[in-house]
Amino acid sequence: MTAVTNIAVPKAPKSRKPIDGWRWVGRIFLVLMLLYTAVPMIWMLLTSIKSGFAAMQFPPQWWPDEPTLASYQKLLDPNNSVGQDFLRFFWNSLFVSTATTVLSVAVAVPAAYAFSRFSFPGRRFLFFSVLLRNMFPAVIFLVPLFILMRLLGLVNTHGSLILTYLTFGLPLAIWLLRGFYDNIPIQLEQAARIDGATRFQAFVLIVMPLSVPGIIATAIYSFIGAWNEYIFAYTFLNKNEQLTLPVGIQRFFSENTTDFPGLMAASFMMSVPVVVLFLLLQRYFVRALTEGAVKH
Amino acid sequence: MTPVTGQYDAPRQKQRERSGILEQMWLNRFDYLYVLPAILVMLIVIAYPIYYTIDLSFFKTPPSLQLRDKIFVGTDNYAAILSSDVFWRVTMNTVVWTIASTLFAFVLGLGAALALHREFVGRGVLRAILIIPWVISAVAASYIWKWIYHSDFGVIGAVLVGLGLTDRPPNFIDSVNTVLPSLIVVNVWREFPFAMIMLMAGLQTVPEQLLRAATVDGAGAWQRFWHVTFPHLRSVSTVTILLLAVANFNSFIIPWIMTGGGPASASHIWITHIYELAFGRQRWGVAAAYSVLLFLILMAFGYFYVRALSGSERKDHGE
Repeated sequence: MTAVTNIAVPKAPKSRKPIDGWRWVGRIFLVLMLLYTAVPMIWMLLTSIKSGFAAMQFPPQWWPDEPTLASYQKLLDPNNSVGQDFLRFFWNSLFVSTATTVLSVAVAVPAAYAFSRFSFPGRRFLFFSVLLRNMFPAVIFLVPLFILMRLLGLVNTHGSLILTYLTFGLPLAIWLLRGFYDNIPIQLEQAARIDGATRFQAFVLIVMPLSVPGIIATAIYSFIGAWNEYIFAYTFLNKNEQLTLPVGIQRFFSENTTDFPGLMAASFMMSVPVVVLFLLLQRYFVRALTEGAVKH
Repeated sequence: MTPVTGQYDAPRQKQRERSGILEQMWLNRFDYLYVLPAILVMLIVIAYPIYYTIDLSFFKTPPSLQLRDKIFVGTDNYAAILSSDVFWRVTMNTVVWTIASTLFAFVLGLGAALALHREFVGRGVLRAILIIPWVISAVAASYIWKWIYHSDFGVIGAVLVGLGLTDRPPNFIDSVNTVLPSLIVVNVWREFPFAMIMLMAGLQTVPEQLLRAATVDGAGAWQRFWHVTFPHLRSVSTVTILLLAVANFNSFIIPWIMTGGGPASASHIWITHIYELAFGRQRWGVAAAYSVLLFLILMAFGYFYVRALSGSERKDHGE
């Protein structure tokens, strides 16, 4: 014990001083970042519990004089038209995002596995074409896709969105999953093969269970991506009853431009599912993103 | 038994090495089954649109998008774009937008990652809060900030007036001079968490011993960062910056929702401009030509992108 403290003591004062200055810089920086991040969200919440009249005051009421949940009640009440619309948009978003997520995982898992394990010709080419796709903006694809959807009879259906989200989410999904597969030791499958499993069995029985964190992460990304997507939904859907949340909210509030408490309440509720999902599954979420980019 | 399989395997192995690409493809034909669904979907939704866009860029199209009536005009669409004033203004905006957003998002993300690297009470909570802007929808973010910037009842304006810095709340997004910086602030707000996450993971790969060794050698905090930490972050930084730059170059929602490109095109960037040309003014051919130009620029980007990403892949296979 004494030996340990003897070593530790001369070191400590030396490294303390220069670090302390930087530590304070770090703390102050973090406080500023926290303000930058949190103040807009807090202001959203504060506005959402004001009445329309209280929101439109100058100088603003920093804390609402009469906090009210009226905006939320209005949005969630199935008996008035606003609530009906909002709940329908919410449901549409949920349906489209869930369908996209399930399909993405189903398509990306085998593809990512193949990219990670097999060495068929064109493997690198395909992988990079997958990555390259990720670079091109949605707008380039809008007109032709719109025409394609018209051909397929999918305009104004959720199918058009699910198909596009699936495609546009795939590159990221494959990239994320491949990172996970790369880090699963190939010896495990080799052992299974020696014990008589086919390659497919080794994949399903050995690799799949091990890649559950990767699959969860990919699912979260697909879900959040689909939930937040705006451009395609904005272009492909016209009918009010089909709209997803981002477009629905935009359309609603371009008609009611002064209802800021309602708008803030709607923004908040639109954020709740994805933020909750993120907070619950944070671990996977953060790990997945970095698995592909950082090699251990 | 063993000698037999040995004899059997050797010629097959040799043949495999010598065989042409088609034969190899055939030998590996089942591998393709795994990739097939992904490729199929991508072909329909990606290859076709690209072909179609290039084709359309040489035509003058009627607003109704009834394609029987399109007229071949050669490269007129391109000439019209390159000679218009708006094109150059929008290009300038795009450059400013992309570089400033990427730079600030990266620097703030790096700062936050470094500050969050060491263990302290509440670190997990703080990290989670800082990531939230990246998770919520850009549409929600745009509305939140639009309300914050509001020229009459915006909270920033009120604070500035309260502090006595201005007499009247400034017009952040209704003024030609301030609109682009104001939107960049929103964009950085949404994007710095991404850089932060990537760099936090990068920091984990910096060997603790090296840092300690540097301390023993008398290196200050800045020297340790510059000579030990930063070189380890190089590859992850390259990937992060490229991904951010591509995302920023392609961003649409924030300018579109907050200003629609206005006032006087001061916040139009390429993507919003293309969108407006196509769906606002129904000039499909011109918009397609714009897209093709965009495509060419992105291909140049793509060269670096693939090089950076394949660099990290090569290292990974070498290990």
